[in-house]
Amino acid sequence: MAAFITLSAALMFVDSRFDYLDRVRFSIAYVATPVYWMADVPSRISLWIDDVFVSHRDLIEENEELRQELLFAQRELQLLASLTSENNLLRDLQAASEAVRGQVMTAEIINVSNDAGSRRVLINRGYHDGVKEGHAVLDADGLMGQVIEVSPFSSWVLLVVDPRHGTPVQVNRNGERAIARGSRDMVALELEYVPDTADIRTGDLLVSSGLGQRFPKGYPVAEVTQVRHDPGQAFAFVRARPMAQIDRTRHVMLVSVQAVDDPAVRLDTRPLDAWQSMIPSDDETPPEAVSGQESSAETPEEAAEVVE
Amino acid sequence: MDDRSSGTWVIVLSLLLAYLLAIVPFPEWALHYRPQWVALVLIYWAMALPYRVGIGTAWVAGLLLDVMEGSVLGLNAMSLAIVVYITLSLHQRLRMFSFLQQSALVLALVGLNMLLVYWVRVGIGQSDSRSLLFLLGAVSSAFIWPLMFVSLRHLRRAFEVH
Repeated sequence: MAAFITLSAALMFVDSRFDYLDRVRFSIAYVATPVYWMADVPSRISLWIDDVFVSHRDLIEENEELRQELLFAQRELQLLASLTSENNLLRDLQAASEAVRGQVMTAEIINVSNDAGSRRVLINRGYHDGVKEGHAVLDADGLMGQVIEVSPFSSWVLLVVDPRHGTPVQVNRNGERAIARGSRDMVALELEYVPDTADIRTGDLLVSSGLGQRFPKGYPVAEVTQVRHDPGQAFAFVRARPMAQIDRTRHVMLVSVQAVDDPAVRLDTRPLDAWQSMIPSDDETPPEAVSGQESSAETPEEAAEVVE
Repeated sequence: MDDRSSGTWVIVLSLLLAYLLAIVPFPEWALHYRPQWVALVLIYWAMALPYRVGIGTAWVAGLLLDVMEGSVLGLNAMSLAIVVYITLSLHQRLRMFSFLQQSALVLALVGLNMLLVYWVRVGIGQSDSRSLLFLLGAVSSAFIWPLMFVSLRHLRRAFEVH
């Protein structure tokens, strides 16, 4: 008995401090894969039933809705195209290059962690699909989290609302930077170390800033729901609601962030880059932010577009 | 020898089923009520066939559960080994107990299991829960125990697992 306890304690120590055991975990995970697959069967069946037993009228209605959504999306895409070209022009003028570029893969959430003290989900893509630790996970509305553990055919994702997850964000309106950490109740985000004088208001959209090289830049993360200035506290209290449908969505996207390796551009722009990060970047309206009404009229370029 | 190894697949299958139930997605409100299926199945087999299912089995089963839950390797292995150790030392008495008494002991055993897991998780910073609501899982385990006991006993007799 004592031997088993010692062995377990040693395992736990090594596994929590070092990563020697990742290979072992990875091998054992092959055994676990069919169990995951089986556990997912009930929800698969219910989805299938939903698909099969859907009324003709519902389908027509849904079709109609989707058509309208597509129309809106296409309109916004048109705006986006002109904005992108304008953006690129400005970038060229400043001799700066787009810092990150991503590859996208779709995945499905197949399980939720049953540990009440953390917010993790399991997705159906793993090592053999090319998932790596640190890949960003998004849904249609915003950033959800990042991959923290890769198994052969599945991976664990730590959600942005987990208190141990920090996301580098930026206020879309003025470029104010902060770190958004999951709140204690694990349903929202809280900004850390925000000075009392920072210009952050309720309703502000927080987008990923791309600093830290983990998350692609410019994806919506959260919307500020509460700002409190307490004279007794050194920092302001800012709470935000995640944009991603954390508890509802099943389909997610995996994005890997790669720095563009172009030494020529790098060399040329190094001094400029350093300088550039000092000024607020108004011209960097992220693609997703265009769809948000509160941000759409902020930049003069866009205002001009709307007028046309 | 042949007689002894008969029906190993029944034990393996019951454990597999327990894993399935342990990770099958639960609605949010029922998260705390999830019984500890793997612990329950191990307790039953350790009680019924102490010479076949012992600490070693529990340890390996726990290791697999660790990988499935994505928790630190060795965590469930340790807590389940301890639970089975206690069960083994009490198995003679446990067989004589009424359902109510058995359930009470199961409540204590599963509660211990969950507390051990919780302590280690908080200790190494993998979890950040401050409420002890998760112990409701031990209560639901105790409630489901008689059902579990009867069905596993039925299975054991039907397939003559000795």
